[in-house]
Amino acid sequence: MTVHRLLDIFTLMERRERESANGFALCAVAAEFMALDGAGIAMISDGDDLTSLCTSNNAAGALMDLEITLGEGPAVDASHGDANEDTNLLKESASNWETYRPEAVALGARAVFGFPVRLGAIRFGALSLFRSTPGPLNAEQDSDAYLMASVIGRAILATQAGGSHESLVGELDGASMLDFRVHQATGMLAVQGSMSVKDALVVLRAHAFGVGCQLSELADRVVSGSTHLDPDTRVWVDDVESVING
Amino acid sequence: MERESLLIATLVELADNLVDDYDVIDVLTVLSLRCVEAVDVDAAGVMLASPVGELQFVASSSESMTVLELFQIQTNEGPCVDCFRDGLAITNHALSETDGRWPLFTPRALAQGFRAVHSLPMRLRGRTIGALNLFRTHQGTLSDDDVIVAQGLADVATIAILQHRSTLDAGTLNAQLSNALNSRVIIEQAKGMIRQSTGCDMDEAFNRLRAHARNHNEGLTDLATRLVTKSIHAIDLDEWAKPKGS
Repeated sequence: MTVHRLLDIFTLMERRERESANGFALCAVAAEFMALDGAGIAMISDGDDLTSLCTSNNAAGALMDLEITLGEGPAVDASHGDANEDTNLLKESASNWETYRPEAVALGARAVFGFPVRLGAIRFGALSLFRSTPGPLNAEQDSDAYLMASVIGRAILATQAGGSHESLVGELDGASMLDFRVHQATGMLAVQGSMSVKDALVVLRAHAFGVGCQLSELADRVVSGSTHLDPDTRVWVDDVESVING
Repeated sequence: MERESLLIATLVELADNLVDDYDVIDVLTVLSLRCVEAVDVDAAGVMLASPVGELQFVASSSESMTVLELFQIQTNEGPCVDCFRDGLAITNHALSETDGRWPLFTPRALAQGFRAVHSLPMRLRGRTIGALNLFRTHQGTLSDDDVIVAQGLADVATIAILQHRSTLDAGTLNAQLSNALNSRVIIEQAKGMIRQSTGCDMDEAFNRLRAHARNHNEGLTDLATRLVTKSIHAIDLDEWAKPKGS
């Protein structure tokens, strides 16, 4: 199932890339992939600030600007780690979006959904989606949203790690992210380089690109100690013995 | 301890854990540890499916890299994968070198001294959300009673994932699964940081984290998050004394 859906994402991405010169087509892909009326990706920059990375259409753009300005809404909540939804913006609901709700309705949204884009304690941002009719996501859409969030996280990581356009497509295979050694290596690197785990993951990803190996392969070397980041120079150092013995 | 008393004590302990606020990873760890005692196996662990359907390791009776590796392989093949896919228990599957069913998993499991594996499905209203995996080094088969107890523990694990949520719609369940799996990633990131800061191995890193959380009445994932985001330093974690004979 996952493989089929990933191929669908890939196909949509390819088509979008051909249609426009815009690099980050993932918003439009997300909306189309999930058959919704709009999608937006928010990114966490310095500290806790959210910025809009991309939005799939004008309405999605206006909704994203609205919630970032107000500090309330699906992407805002999701950026803190909680998947959320308001399936009928016209009704009083449990969500604390007193100001956002009527404004979002005025912009044409009737249902909104937010999903975190994260990897453990690393928070990349959030995926927000809207529909112009009320109602929940169906089971397939809900699972698709998690797949999309995962792809978006990897794409953001690859971009920040200096990946090429081609490598973004390569990121569709998320197998490395299921490898516990990647997470352990991230933690180790954060201490080795005296940096945040987010920066450590970017450094790890960048080095994997640089030496041309899979992320999980590099992570294995970090965890086994055969390569490390020098704390003073922040240069990668390979253990000599392992280089000789391969 | 006599078998019946052990089972009663296990039941009471798990029930006590589940009535209050609890950390999902911690409860599943307790469950895995008690499973080893109650069912006469040598290692036990839980794998959960992400909302997208990928099986991932969540908790185990041992955090040694060798045991974790056996769960890592099972993101692709192995008893957990088959059990999850079919929703059916696999019991008393003897491992042998000529067994071609799991060509990557079986040799690694044998190399670590395991002779038999079992996998019990975690099922909720017709949906399989994961599997409880048991490994045994010594000869002999699990009795029918043992299998009943193991399935019972798998069912308790399923309840634990829900964390008091009363609605069981796909969206709520997906969010719970996503949170549980993300918690494990945070813990792996924390383990890497602890290992790099203190020089201990990954197993001890986990146990220090868990001991400190319990000593200070803090959630395991909350503590791991504080550590990864550098609100607490690894050297400030409580010591953990390795039990004799392990």
